Amino acid sequence: MIALASLFFAKVSLAQKELLSFDENNRYIYYQVADAPGLREDTLLARVSYFLKPEYSKIKLNRTANPNLLNGSGKFLVYGGGGLLKHEHGEIGYSLNIECKDQKYRYWLTGFVFTPYQRDRYGNFVPEPGKEIPLEAISNKLGKKDADSYLDETGTFCKQLGDRLKLFMTKTFAPKKAEVAKRTVTDKW
Amino acid sequence: MKKVLLLLCLSAATIFTFKAHAASLPADTGKAAVVVPDPPLVFSGSVDTYYKYDFSGHPNIPTSFANENNSMSIGMIDLGLKKTVGKASFVGELSFGPRGQSQSIPNASPGLVTFPGTSNTGTAYSSYHIQNLYVSYNVTDKFNLTAGYMSTFIGYEVISPAANFNYSTSYLFTNGPFQNAGFKATYTFSDKVSLMAGIFNDYWNVYQSANKVNTFGAQLMIAPVKGWTAYFNLITGPASGTEVDLTTTYQITDAFKLGLNAADFTVPSGVGLTGGFSGIALYPQLAVSKAVTLGLRGEYFSTKTGNYITAGPPAGESVTAITFTANIKAGPLTFIPEVRLDNSSKSDIFVNNNAFTSNASQFVLAAVYAF
Repeated sequence: MIALASLFFAKVSLAQKELLSFDENNRYIYYQVADAPGLREDTLLARVSYFLKPEYSKIKLNRTANPNLLNGSGKFLVYGGGGLLKHEHGEIGYSLNIECKDQKYRYWLTGFVFTPYQRDRYGNFVPEPGKEIPLEAISNKLGKKDADSYLDETGTFCKQLGDRLKLFMTKTFAPKKAEVAKRTVTDKW
Repeated sequence: MKKVLLLLCLSAATIFTFKAHAASLPADTGKAAVVVPDPPLVFSGSVDTYYKYDFSGHPNIPTSFANENNSMSIGMIDLGLKKTVGKASFVGELSFGPRGQSQSIPNASPGLVTFPGTSNTGTAYSSYHIQNLYVSYNVTDKFNLTAGYMSTFIGYEVISPAANFNYSTSYLFTNGPFQNAGFKATYTFSDKVSLMAGIFNDYWNVYQSANKVNTFGAQLMIAPVKGWTAYFNLITGPASGTEVDLTTTYQITDAFKLGLNAADFTVPSGVGLTGGFSGIALYPQLAVSKAVTLGLRGEYFSTKTGNYITAGPPAGESVTAITFTANIKAGPLTFIPEVRLDNSSKSDIFVNNNAFTSNASQFVLAAVYAF
């Protein structure tokens, strides 16, 4: 029984695409609400900015009408092949939204768009110009194996981003102490 | 027994889960505060083989590759390595086989040799061909320096069959450069504009210069609208001549892509040669399903008046070539059935039934596996 449960656990661990659901517009979404007991809205917003700056500095932030909502767009690479043959198969663009209120915040990633990579004449894998496939349509455009793999990688990326965000939102970071180089004085015995 | 089975299952589950997670863990393209490991060594390439039949019963069409008649032949195995550490990268790509050797090769060790262990002599041919061998350094996010032996920046088609839609090649490709050795700097102004300028060896397709590095090359890339990229290319040198080239592709809809290549080449003055070539090729392609794309290449190529000989029509004449190609994908394998019709403007430059004629036609079925 336990053996079967172990195998089931392995299977469930693989299916990261299950972390994604569909929103009211039938688009893939990764949606989470988290509690932040004792933390005010402005503190949470400051921590979001603090999180994005070093961790995801290439996310382009956009202004929104709601001052408590931060919206940005970014992309991550997806890989194919295994072992030595593993290389970039494409990139997935996404929209990230983080909204804060007193003692809680929510975040969601949506608007996933896959851009396939091709090998160029110089031996690099680069985006195919003009090819953009919404993640919702990826099963119609690509083989099942690739489509499932990219959905799994999307789920994994979203969870990873969410886990890092939670760390920044709940943990207080002490200011970094200036590192003092260890010095040895040789003019004294 | 149960305990052993349980232990095995737990181990398998752990290893399986860890491996799958590690394999699928995506890398963020943004800068992270934590130390991000450098990308792994990337190993890629292709293998290709084909059958060709020329309807005249003779090998006829003089463009590169697939030159035999009624033959099951091989192209090449192409093996590429790439590694990036911080801002520095290298690419090394070797090919083995006719397509990457005698059909496109700068012979690495030409001349008469004595074969080891015998008294027999023959012409030496290198046992491989370097497609790319260069190092590059990103001085900033926008400014890159590259040096080595690189696939040329001129033209639409390349040697690697995995990067071409058609299996046979155009007259423009065959008569233009394949590779250039040199040093180049590329500045990316934005996603829409970049400029490359470089200095290259005196001759095309050589690992070493004759004695000068005096060919200038430049490429302006613009992307006016989403899906449309255009490259304006120039390569000019006192030994290798001057070629001006436009290569552009436009993914007009999800299914339809249009490519265009136009070029003009003039031989260098002062070396006793006159003439050159010019031409234009159009590449419409339509994806009819997720596995099948149909395409056509329509090319007009003319050899300029003069004493320079092209792989094509005689001086002052032209040739028109129409190639119908399908790409049928089965995972990493692509089947490429192709029918090609060439027609010369004046002279009978092709052979049919032991007589000269102005037109030629051929069928190719190729299989290209890319990894």
